[in-house]
Amino acid sequence: MYAEVGFVATIIAFVAAIYAVLASVYGERRHNEALVLSGRNAALVNFAMLSVALCALWLGLMTQDYQIKYVWSVSSPSMPDFFRVTALWGSQSGSLLFWSFLMSAFSAAAIALNWRTHRRLMPYTIAVMMAVMVFFLGIKIFIENPFERWWIIPTNPTETQVISAAFIPAGAVAPEYDRLASSAQGLNPLLRHFGMAIHPPMLYLGFVGFLIPFAFAVAALASGDLSTNWIKASRRWALIAWLFLSLGLILGGRWAYDVLGWGGYWGWDPVENAAFLPWLVGTALLHSIMIEEKRGMLRVWNMFLIVGTFSAVIFGTFATRSGLVESVHSFARSGIGFPMFFFWASMTVLSVALILWRRNRGELQDTHELKGLLSREVLFVLNNFIFMALTVVIFWGSFGAPIISELFMNTDITLGADYFMRVTPPLFLALYILMGIAPISAWGATAAGRLGSALIIPAILTVISLGIFVLMGMTIPVALIGYAFVLLAGWIAIYETYRGVMARRRIKTESWWTSITALYQRNPRRYGGYMIHLGVTIIGIGVIGSTLFQQETQRTLNVGESLTINDYELRFDRFDTGQISEDGRIMDIAVLNLIRNGQTLAQIKPRRDFFPENTDMNSMTIAGAHSTLENDFYVLLVGWEEMNQQQATFKVYINPLINLIWWGSFILIFGTVLAGWPHHILPERVRVQKRLPKGTMPEGV
Amino acid sequence: MAEMTWEKVPASEKGTTSPGIKTEKLKFIIGGILLLVAVLYLVLSGMDGGTQYFMTIDELVANADYDGQIVRISGAVIGETIQYDSTTLKLNFTVAHIPKETNNLALTLHEAVLNPAGQRLEIRMENQVMPDLLQNEAQAILSGKMGEDGIFYASELLLKCPSRYEEAIPMQVE
Repeated sequence: MYAEVGFVATIIAFVAAIYAVLASVYGERRHNEALVLSGRNAALVNFAMLSVALCALWLGLMTQDYQIKYVWSVSSPSMPDFFRVTALWGSQSGSLLFWSFLMSAFSAAAIALNWRTHRRLMPYTIAVMMAVMVFFLGIKIFIENPFERWWIIPTNPTETQVISAAFIPAGAVAPEYDRLASSAQGLNPLLRHFGMAIHPPMLYLGFVGFLIPFAFAVAALASGDLSTNWIKASRRWALIAWLFLSLGLILGGRWAYDVLGWGGYWGWDPVENAAFLPWLVGTALLHSIMIEEKRGMLRVWNMFLIVGTFSAVIFGTFATRSGLVESVHSFARSGIGFPMFFFWASMTVLSVALILWRRNRGELQDTHELKGLLSREVLFVLNNFIFMALTVVIFWGSFGAPIISELFMNTDITLGADYFMRVTPPLFLALYILMGIAPISAWGATAAGRLGSALIIPAILTVISLGIFVLMGMTIPVALIGYAFVLLAGWIAIYETYRGVMARRRIKTESWWTSITALYQRNPRRYGGYMIHLGVTIIGIGVIGSTLFQQETQRTLNVGESLTINDYELRFDRFDTGQISEDGRIMDIAVLNLIRNGQTLAQIKPRRDFFPENTDMNSMTIAGAHSTLENDFYVLLVGWEEMNQQQATFKVYINPLINLIWWGSFILIFGTVLAGWPHHILPERVRVQKRLPKGTMPEGV
Repeated sequence: MAEMTWEKVPASEKGTTSPGIKTEKLKFIIGGILLLVAVLYLVLSGMDGGTQYFMTIDELVANADYDGQIVRISGAVIGETIQYDSTTLKLNFTVAHIPKETNNLALTLHEAVLNPAGQRLEIRMENQVMPDLLQNEAQAILSGKMGEDGIFYASELLLKCPSRYEEAIPMQVE
């Protein structure tokens, strides 16, 4: 029942999307208002139908309709309801439906919010959004259908065969419920983690969110409205997408750290890198469009960046879902490999062709030229260069080199973490340097002396804080160089915000709180941006600390024994075996006491979980940790003596400053929300009037 | 209209291409080239140390050139050979050769483990936490060096159990 409803809704959504593309384009070209409106409505129908389809699959999961193959493959009778919801994106076909639903939701939101304000761009924008939709729904309907059901069909008079099909095959009967329920596998244990439950939706929201700016950009190119309108319409969408993508990456790292048990959060795995690439290009874009808005520069480049961002999104999706990551040859075997590759390539080529066509017609000319080595424009261009360099070297390491060697050199090479750890740190450091200097430089040209004087106080603060790191024992020269630039960027962000507050307070007598909130309200992009920079600084400190100063040891302990590392003592108190959790897993838990200077800090409980119903991956090592701002004391239960359970082996990591990564992430997210918060509820005309009496704010430096 | 202003301004600026702007442009071009060279150098030096050749067990065993060099291999784990000492964190097991290309990984792994004539390779790992996925007929992707004693000393282990992601069919046991 749910399967039929879901499948029919998907087909209606598919047809509506095709209609929306045709009606919008044709209606716009013929200036047929009614047709344009019906195209818009079709896009809304698409959203409604995909909501129905998603609900149908969700109900299928909740009611445990195991005849639906997808439900059978990602859930089992003993699973708690929370994971029945997250199972919606637990496997390929369901996540494609979820992805399409999010895309339609974004499209509907863009229509609702931008239909009036950017009327001229909307028909083409809708056409682009729905064209992408047609592709994804096509894959879903024809190749990866989550609504397929199990059927038993007779192959000859004595034998039967189990197959999956969307419609009832001739002579087929549904398999018995009990048989299906008992053979259902349940969600992969690795995915049963809160981080994994929300990491994919965040990542998808980030990926899908970039469709809107991309659609506006292509609409600008197609319609000929090449003013900054497309940027105005899409800037906030890009920020929202960037916010979710950042969240998705952070949660992914946190999940890896909690679940994968190697004491790290980023492994330079091609799948991780594939999600990082759109983030890099998107971050370059967010910076670069500021120059176009303020100075009318880099117009062609920005078009390339937005196309590049969405192209990276589709490439990432394609690379991780098609099997390309393992081998060029295995991707062809996955049903969605070729269609996705074809879509990615044609989408990219068409968009680039559009840009070049407009450029050759002279319609994307810049109003200013680059000059002054220290001008803000030049520093932004450098920032873009470094972001793109990072994108290219990471792409090369994850996909370029392996694919080219396999296709043309008949060898199969991979570039391991060593490659990334060598190539990327200098580039990241360069970004931190630019992140510090660019905000205090001026448009047009910057006098070196002025830049220097703006740097004095942050530089002093940097030296002082470096001293603290040295006192903490972090004396590796490379680390100190890294910390110097990272800290400088952070102090500049703080100091500039402080100067903004002080400039207000010189003129107005108001409370500190009013000054600070007014500052963020008046110029959310600038000060939200500083907040993000501060978050990135704190993340950087955490990354350097946890990478360069990680300590590791392992010991086998009898109950009652301790191991010591630094000034910590870790005592093995007891072993609780056979604890059964509500989702059916059996847990063996080691209980340890962490002691420092004679004082008990915490009880740490690393454990091994066993999943009796899973046949493949049925056990999982879960770390226990004591987290402070100073470090994480991270303990893995590696093994134990089976007979009397009096002896167990532990692996211990001390990860200095690692929690700054998560705290910095909070600040980054908060800053992004500040920078993008839609507080302009007043109509445009009123806002312009309100903005006129200026002078209370330092407009740039 | 907005488009008009876009076209007018650059036209007026184009006329003012003074020698000063030209040398400035030259500076940017040279700076850009230097940056590109720097990035290229980074990539090449990174590839120098970070490149690992991916090969099958047959290729590795037949070719002594790669002894002592870090390579990546892939093979099928033979379950009964797994030996793990949780006090010393030493892990030994044997993998069987599997071809690079396969249409059904689960089946290939299964056949590789059962085939007594296939090439096998003993793996040693130290300081290794027993991986949750290490089991019979798992695909092991290992980085490490071939020792002179014919044993592969691995430093990195990645495991895949394909059946979950292949087309599993319920109730094949009818």
